[in-house]
Amino acid sequence: MRDLAEKSSVAPDWRNATIEVPGLKIGAVAGLHQRLVSGDLAAWAEASGLDGTAVGAFGLAEGIRYSVRLARDRLLAVSITPISMAARWFPQGFAVTEISAGLQVFDVEGPALQAFIARGTTLDPRQPSASAALSFAGISAIVYRHESKLRIHIDRGLAAYLWTWMEQAAGHIAAGK
Amino acid sequence: MQLFPCPFCGPRDETEFHYGGDAGNVRPDGADVPIDRWAGYLYLRGNPKGTAREIWVHMNCGEFFVMERDTITHKVLSSAALGGEHTA
Repeated sequence: MRDLAEKSSVAPDWRNATIEVPGLKIGAVAGLHQRLVSGDLAAWAEASGLDGTAVGAFGLAEGIRYSVRLARDRLLAVSITPISMAARWFPQGFAVTEISAGLQVFDVEGPALQAFIARGTTLDPRQPSASAALSFAGISAIVYRHESKLRIHIDRGLAAYLWTWMEQAAGHIAAGK
Repeated sequence: MQLFPCPFCGPRDETEFHYGGDAGNVRPDGADVPIDRWAGYLYLRGNPKGTAREIWVHMNCGEFFVMERDTITHKVLSSAALGGEHTA
């Protein structure tokens, strides 16, 4: 029987996986609590106490708890501490879905960050865009700034691919290609 | 590369979008729809030279919208979310 697993990239151990080249450091972020919120986002902000002004593409998120805008009626709530809102439908007009295990998160930092962004997307990082959902490295990702770093959320099934892409991109940037 | 204006996100790379057909091509409803009406809905397209009104979806944010563009110059004339309350 054919072993189809051989066709896929092997995911590294995310607990200690890092990519380090001159000017760029990339690592996996573990332990974040992530919830998708769909529906009436104003009602969500009122019920949860989380700030309703979610960041868009390359927007700056700060602190231990924040939200990222994905669509007109959808955002991603991110927190280091557990989010108290249950994952269910709320009669105020929104639904909360647990997605912590579904999205792998990476942080990218260093003076070569702009070159890294330029390789990943055609979107101008200086131009505001309401949604942080964009095509990065050819796949759909959630991309914004968290403090001084670039933070990327990606479907967990695509994390090994993106890691391989980031290894190659970092290598090319370091080599000045 | 061409930039398309998503009514919610603003200008994005054309590769983030998916074509959804002619705007206004509404699916016939009911049991007694004439066969030529079905044929028109399924197979006949205006394919205009010049201004075209089309349905597109921005796959990253899921926004469905009507985009008006020139099929000769590729210039985008307008885009508006379905429902019409949001434009870009």
